[in-house]
Amino acid sequence: MEEVVIASSSVDGGIGCWDLQTGAEHLRYKSCASPSHGLTSVGHRFLASSQLRDRASSASIMYWSWFKPNVEVKCFPDEHIKALVANSEGTYLVGGGLSGHIYLWEVATGRLLQKWRGHYRAVTCLVFTEDDSILVSGSEDGSVRVWALYMIFDDYHKQAASQLYEHSFSEHTLPVTDIAVGYGGGGAIIVSASEDRTCKVWSLFKGTLLRNIVFPSIIDAVALDPGEHIFYAGGRDGKIYVAALNADASSSKSDLLHIIGSLSSHSKAVTSLTYSKSANLLLAGSEDGMIRVWDPKTHNIVRMLKHSKGPVNNICIVARPLNPNPRVTLQASKKQGSSLPPPLHRYADQIDRPESMNSMISLQPPCNHLIDASYRSSLVLDDQIKELQQRGSAAAAQMEVERLKLDSIQYTQVLQKWKKMYDNLHEFCVNELLKGDDN
Amino acid sequence: MAKTKGSSKNQQKRGVDFKKIKRKLGRKLPPPKNATNTEIKSKAIVLPEQSVASEKAGLAVSKKGLTLKELLQHTSHHNAKVRKDALLGMKDLFLRYPEELKSHRYAVIEKLRERICDEDKIVREGLFQLLKSSVLPGCKEDNQEPLISLMMAYIFNAMTHLNVDVRLMAFKFFDLVIQYYPPSFSIYSEKILQNYEDILRKNQFYLQDKGKLKNTLSGLARCLSLLPANRRETHLSDKNGRAQETMHSFEPDAPTESSEFLVIAKKLNDILPVLVSCFQEFIPLIHSTPLLDAKSFDCMLSILQSIDLVVRFFVQRVDKSGHEETMWDRGTSSILLKNLLGGFPLNPVQNVSDKDDDRYFILNMAITEIFLHSSKCIFPPAELLNRFLLFIEHALLGQNVSGTHSQKAAREKQILILIPFIPKLLSQLIGDQKSGLLKAFTKRFLECNLESPMKLACLAGIEEMLLFNINDSDLLDFQKTWISKLPMLLLELDDKHPSSSQSVLHLLLRVGQCSLINSELSLEYDKTQNSIMKFYSTCLEDGNISYGPFIKLGRDIQELSVCCLYYFPHLDSLLLKSIAAACIRPELDTFILFRVIEVLHSAYSAGHIDIADYTSFFVTLLSRFKVFPENTCGPMENDAKVPRHGTFKSVTRVVSSCLSQMGDNNLVFMILERVILEQIASNLPIENACALLRMLVELDSSPTKLSEQSIITLSHALSKYLIDVAHTVPEDDEPIGSVRVQKRHYYLLPCFFLFDRSPRLLNLVVNRMGSLIAASHSPLSSDDYIDCANERISRMDAIVSSLLSMYRDPKVQQILSVAKEEIFSISQCICSLLVPFYLQLVQFLDNPRGLDLLCFQLLQSFAFFHNTSSSSQWMDRQMFHGAITVRRRLLVLSL
Repeated sequence: MEEVVIASSSVDGGIGCWDLQTGAEHLRYKSCASPSHGLTSVGHRFLASSQLRDRASSASIMYWSWFKPNVEVKCFPDEHIKALVANSEGTYLVGGGLSGHIYLWEVATGRLLQKWRGHYRAVTCLVFTEDDSILVSGSEDGSVRVWALYMIFDDYHKQAASQLYEHSFSEHTLPVTDIAVGYGGGGAIIVSASEDRTCKVWSLFKGTLLRNIVFPSIIDAVALDPGEHIFYAGGRDGKIYVAALNADASSSKSDLLHIIGSLSSHSKAVTSLTYSKSANLLLAGSEDGMIRVWDPKTHNIVRMLKHSKGPVNNICIVARPLNPNPRVTLQASKKQGSSLPPPLHRYADQIDRPESMNSMISLQPPCNHLIDASYRSSLVLDDQIKELQQRGSAAAAQMEVERLKLDSIQYTQVLQKWKKMYDNLHEFCVNELLKGDDN
Repeated sequence: MAKTKGSSKNQQKRGVDFKKIKRKLGRKLPPPKNATNTEIKSKAIVLPEQSVASEKAGLAVSKKGLTLKELLQHTSHHNAKVRKDALLGMKDLFLRYPEELKSHRYAVIEKLRERICDEDKIVREGLFQLLKSSVLPGCKEDNQEPLISLMMAYIFNAMTHLNVDVRLMAFKFFDLVIQYYPPSFSIYSEKILQNYEDILRKNQFYLQDKGKLKNTLSGLARCLSLLPANRRETHLSDKNGRAQETMHSFEPDAPTESSEFLVIAKKLNDILPVLVSCFQEFIPLIHSTPLLDAKSFDCMLSILQSIDLVVRFFVQRVDKSGHEETMWDRGTSSILLKNLLGGFPLNPVQNVSDKDDDRYFILNMAITEIFLHSSKCIFPPAELLNRFLLFIEHALLGQNVSGTHSQKAAREKQILILIPFIPKLLSQLIGDQKSGLLKAFTKRFLECNLESPMKLACLAGIEEMLLFNINDSDLLDFQKTWISKLPMLLLELDDKHPSSSQSVLHLLLRVGQCSLINSELSLEYDKTQNSIMKFYSTCLEDGNISYGPFIKLGRDIQELSVCCLYYFPHLDSLLLKSIAAACIRPELDTFILFRVIEVLHSAYSAGHIDIADYTSFFVTLLSRFKVFPENTCGPMENDAKVPRHGTFKSVTRVVSSCLSQMGDNNLVFMILERVILEQIASNLPIENACALLRMLVELDSSPTKLSEQSIITLSHALSKYLIDVAHTVPEDDEPIGSVRVQKRHYYLLPCFFLFDRSPRLLNLVVNRMGSLIAASHSPLSSDDYIDCANERISRMDAIVSSLLSMYRDPKVQQILSVAKEEIFSISQCICSLLVPFYLQLVQFLDNPRGLDLLCFQLLQSFAFFHNTSSSSQWMDRQMFHGAITVRRRLLVLSL
């Protein structure tokens, strides 16, 4: 595995991919015009991105495998998806729609497991907490909502509870632009940025507002420092503000005291920020199509990565499997067809399955195996079992032949044995007879 | 002793053996040798307890001249009158010498507490007054707990005293303690509640007197209001939101509260039936007597309040933990339901006066409150619910209210309690009941006074109800009504009640945020635009603009109202116009101005504004913005002196950057080309013209996209503009980088860009200037000869200087050199016209020095021509000839 930076833009510039250490550019994945927060890597296995609305085409989500530049799988969801995120294992893909609905798909089968009304307006960003148990969504209606996954799948509690979400924070007056989540799963803090020029810090556990920090410009991106003493906020004025979380604001009259510094490079608006924990670097994507890599300690630009002319609106740092031999994989994939999972379904399945089958089994492959390593949900296993039972499929026939072959070998062996025994007996009898004759 | 010894020695010396000493008669015998001297010698005599006046000079005394020590001693005197006097004396003493109390407070309390059980009524009363007026207030600052604990033992003792009066008084004492030290309830809660329960159980024996009962009950109500649940509520509300909490910290567990709670819950469960039965005893009274006297009324109210507090305590617990069995006794709830709520409403037997009617109303309201609090746990039967609903509806509609103003206000206060319950109540109802209640609520909302707290409460209720299920058609109609009223409300509030305005705007914002796209609600929200327009500004028929409350309100509120704009599904062009009018007001905060642009840009990107409306908003903003306050149209030296100038510069920048982010530049340019040109041609102040030119440059590309027609229009406007610039910022020999040069550069830069993109434009402009000079060369009329000449010369001056500054720019120079022929003819024209013209005018000038400067400039420019267009020798000759002529004439003049 190697750590790479991937970035996409709202105008078609493809998905750029760079080595974080050296800055060398890898393969560029073609034809991607993603909305903000619409690019994600699914369990390090492949890339997925929702696509910006185009009048001609319908809504779509696309998959790219790591070693091929072209789109491999196209999915057509029910409506335009703005924000897209996968949990860290890549079992689920969650998309936030233009109407405010949130969709949850199972990656392996492409089934739409849940769809629910998350917000009144378009969902602008989605984030999982570090332990994947909680989903945080931000919307154009200015609200930030916290969803516990267990609640979303628990039909019984869903009926009992008056609302589906755990918390709904509606203090922002304008659309939420970005959300950053700290460590600690359900006890983490989250930072939400909004077009109302504020960033607000919330406690997931208590469900309360901890801080309200007013900035001199609209904040489009936030990134938390791993130490969680400060966070970075990328403004539309091209500056990256450094804000202290624990600043003493009790005595202060102005909220600007929270801002303890800024990184400025006279660029255009900062559109996305991400923090690399392993390299201790801050990456900022800008409206001018550049990705600036900052050393947060010295406030210097370490490297500049050129993406395209259009604004960069997504940057992710992901681990990418090493490509052992590109030619081999290319040929192999040609032979096998696509190695990626099937496209996502448009509607939820209406097939009633027995209750016992509802539970999901996800077999997580060892990290440096590719997708064709076993990764199945119960449904897939079910199907295979059924197939075997009915012996209808080619695979089943194959297995039958194998079995018969094995049988025939066994039978031949037994035949050999019998033959030998018969020979022995014959010899013995002849000998006995001859002896008798002698006597 | 030493002396006697000495004398005996002397005698021994004198005498020989047994010599007789003769003594004379009449003489005293000397004292015997072993006599003891009994004389006492001392310098002063101290006699304790003799003189009153001298002794107490430095000490604190009461009116009667008694010290604190004495008074304390007197408090345990066997005579009741002395005890009483002592208490009075102490009161007096503490009044005079507060520090006396401070230093001796433990001693004082230790002595005084014994009097709590005093048999004599007057003494107890005196003690009560003493504690209330001086002791407890005096000890308020420092650590009270030890003091209180000193007293509590005696209070409890008194609570179980045989004498009923002492007992009742003890409750009064406790009440006093609670008032000064609220935590004492939580410390002793169990015991206290037990005592209250005991005394209320036997009230028929002890509490025949309504006055005493009233005191006891009000004490209980006060205690109960300190219950953890109720206390917590108040605690939360005042540190809501803005409180600075530590970021990464664990919530401290509160074991104290839960353990304390278990004990209390049991006690409260016991006390509730007692209270209910106590209340029931009053019911016959209501039915028998026509009038409700004040004391019984007070008692009943106190009982109801206490019940309500207990119920609230339980309900909040249920809310928090989710399971009700542990704390809410089934028996208790049925008692509550049957005995208290079952008898609702309390009605007078016959027609009574307004005052009594009011009393019944208040009691009923109190019962309703209990009902509303407890309805979650007791599951009332439908019939009972109906009765309550009817009452609430009537109350909201204000029926039976036929009183004076003050009574009405009192009722208002009562009804205010109901409002927060209505959303929850509505969510449980269906059909007629629901619509009835909604109607009543809406009526109350519309009718209540603007600045009353009722309005605010209603707004909060509405906010809650907006989030309800949208499919409900009944509710939807009412929601629409509410929303449509909001802008009116905003206008009526004007800038008199900022906090109300803020909550209205906040509600409006919530409506915008929570209405689904294309839903009925969002359509209704969209409709409010027409009225909200007036909030910003309105264009009157006579062309003047009347400004709404927006301008006058505070910054927070302005920002909130700007945020509301984002959520309109389609921003109307009229609304944009009124916002633009408000934006160019000089008193508007710059911050808000930028916020408006920012929010509108977001709204535009989200597709809420038409591109044409949006761009025309910008054009309006840039062309109407007044950099200088009215009537001071002189050029200012720098930005610092005219802060609006700096603001306008940044507005121009922001607008340009917004335009560049709009997407297809070509399209935007096509839309804007005509409008901008019209504006530029329409005689604007140079700041505005400059801003518009900059906008044009931002959109245009190289080579220019301007059509032939617009180039011609622009050339007229530009030549005028250049002359204006030269007028406003005259060129002096200032160092490069000075403010003036910078300013000039700022104005000229967009023109240079345009020239660079379209050389034809430059040609036209130069041509135009030439023709202007030619036009000036008409014979002057004789009347205002000098004025006219002056004006012409200054214009000439401006033309030449603007031409000069064009020549100086290296880029423009290049373009000029491309169009050599044109320039040549123009310069020829200038030479042939200008020089003689000056010569003609020079004698009429007041200030030949200015002319001198001009000539110098001319010479420079000719020199420049000489360099670039080397083709014509004739030209050179002409020029030098002209220049020399001018020089000569000047010399003559100066001589």
